[in-house]
Amino acid sequence: MISPARPLYTDPDKRRSLDELGALVGDGAIVAVGGGLSSREPMALLRAMLRRGVKKLTVVGSAHGIDIDLLSAGGALSRSLESYVGFEQDFGMAPNYRRALESGAVEMNDSCCYTLVQQLRAAIQGLPFMPLRSMRGTSFPSLHPEYRRMICPFTGEELLLAPALEPDVALIHAQYADIKGNLVIQGPPVADLLFARASKSVLATVEEIVPTEELNKLGGAVVPYFYVTAVSETKMGAHPTACYPFYAYDRSHTAFYYEAARKGPEIFAAEYLEVFVYDPADHDAYLARIGGEATRARLAAWRDGGDQWRRLYADEAAR
Amino acid sequence: MTQTCTLGETMIAALARTIDDGTLVFHGFGSPLVQLAMHVAKRTHAPRMILIAGATYGVDPDPAFIAPTTNDWAMDRGALCSLGIEELFDLAAAGRMGRMFLSGLQIDRWGNCNVTALGFPNVTMKLPGGGGGGNLSCDAGAITLWTAAHRSTTDERGRRRFRLVDKCDFITNLGHRAEDGRARRELGHRGHGPQWLVTELGLFDFDDEGHMRLRAVYPDTSADEIMDNMGFAPRLAATIDTIPPPERRIVELIRKLDSLGVHNKELRAEDRRRVFPLAG
Repeated sequence: MISPARPLYTDPDKRRSLDELGALVGDGAIVAVGGGLSSREPMALLRAMLRRGVKKLTVVGSAHGIDIDLLSAGGALSRSLESYVGFEQDFGMAPNYRRALESGAVEMNDSCCYTLVQQLRAAIQGLPFMPLRSMRGTSFPSLHPEYRRMICPFTGEELLLAPALEPDVALIHAQYADIKGNLVIQGPPVADLLFARASKSVLATVEEIVPTEELNKLGGAVVPYFYVTAVSETKMGAHPTACYPFYAYDRSHTAFYYEAARKGPEIFAAEYLEVFVYDPADHDAYLARIGGEATRARLAAWRDGGDQWRRLYADEAAR
Repeated sequence: MTQTCTLGETMIAALARTIDDGTLVFHGFGSPLVQLAMHVAKRTHAPRMILIAGATYGVDPDPAFIAPTTNDWAMDRGALCSLGIEELFDLAAAGRMGRMFLSGLQIDRWGNCNVTALGFPNVTMKLPGGGGGGNLSCDAGAITLWTAAHRSTTDERGRRRFRLVDKCDFITNLGHRAEDGRARRELGHRGHGPQWLVTELGLFDFDDEGHMRLRAVYPDTSADEIMDNMGFAPRLAATIDTIPPPERRIVELIRKLDSLGVHNKELRAEDRRRVFPLAG
């Protein structure tokens, strides 16, 4: 048998525990974190990785927030190719991410969404690079000596070439999977499908593992099983980001997080990292710590209609 | 019946006026003033505008309220579908995106924006990053810039900090002059670069050379005040107009869409108190 140039995953039962998934992310890995901003970020998996003490990760992504900020606080990063890390106008700049990059502990390799897309596409297609017309004239090439320029042999125009980017692992939180690792993502996929296709490995947490027949009724796999290495059923695994339709964004938890982060690394370590990442022995302990069933019910209330949904965000919006 | 409008509502209306009917328009994250301007435009003068929401990439969504974060199903409600990230950026690269809205913590005389880092290469403050701005500032047909922090501040050492600066420390979003001083048009980009800049103090466009030019003030600001809050001298249009207030129906639409007042988060406290009489 000729082995493929890139791995395929055909294990008929890929179920693992959350901590087993976390252990599959090695120090120094290039990691594509799925979801974006306040939605479907694989937070439980990131906490499991931090508890294990993962180090020297390179992160790539488009629009991120609390996920990359938390990894920064836990000392897990050495390089960031993110396009955006922040809490939008709602809370502001990402305090832990800022500190990590300003101190030089994490190398600033900022990228741009479409540049990332083109680099992932090159990896997906097995090509060494992809061209772009954009970004020429900005300061980004000074951060990326790996970019090249070429004159197009067909049109004579100048193009920027960005090399293929093949993450070691994509970390994705989806709504549903079956035991083979077929994934259903509902709502905006952001860059998750590209991440899954471009990466050497996909580790997925999901709200529910269901039989394949049921998965097909839910619309069928958007990420087919052969990209996926392992899957863990992790309820509320995106908390405090949203995983609709199960739960909305936990804005009050995020406000608490942000306030602690803003006060500095020591206070953040004591008031947040210790309480919500290191002290809870596992994800069940975390769920108890954030308020258990009462919190789940509060965040599921968005389903009751527009007003309930609005009210979830109303308490502090006008602060 | 309401007789006044706020500064925020006036800015939203001014941003909305930069949108042409029948064009494909996109906003990024962290920009409720722009989200509201796009929804106002689609419901008033630009019904055939193709509205693509940032972060969800939802096509023509109809949200019941503006949520405090952009990538929320609340913002995607009623959308025909969500594009993949690649499809949205392909539309721009292929020349189908008519307008994009961009901002920066530094904006220079050529409309370049810095959202990456202050002090680069000796970084004094890491900024959040520009998302897709480095790509879309080159590819989108036209750019509307905005900021609600034009008024300069004074730092702890008594130095004035300008949002509108002579030169950006890092060019995240390309304006009309490249980092090496080359004119934008020499680079052969799809897009024509910044066309408008809406701030809480005034309205600018960009002249034939691509230099920022003051076009209009608010009823409570003056050209002198505007220039005193900039790190360089803008050019001046032949006549300086006053930015018109929005129509009453637009004010009512904004208040209905933004019942949580999310757009106020973009405004400083002193600017939230500014009100103007409505037309008529």
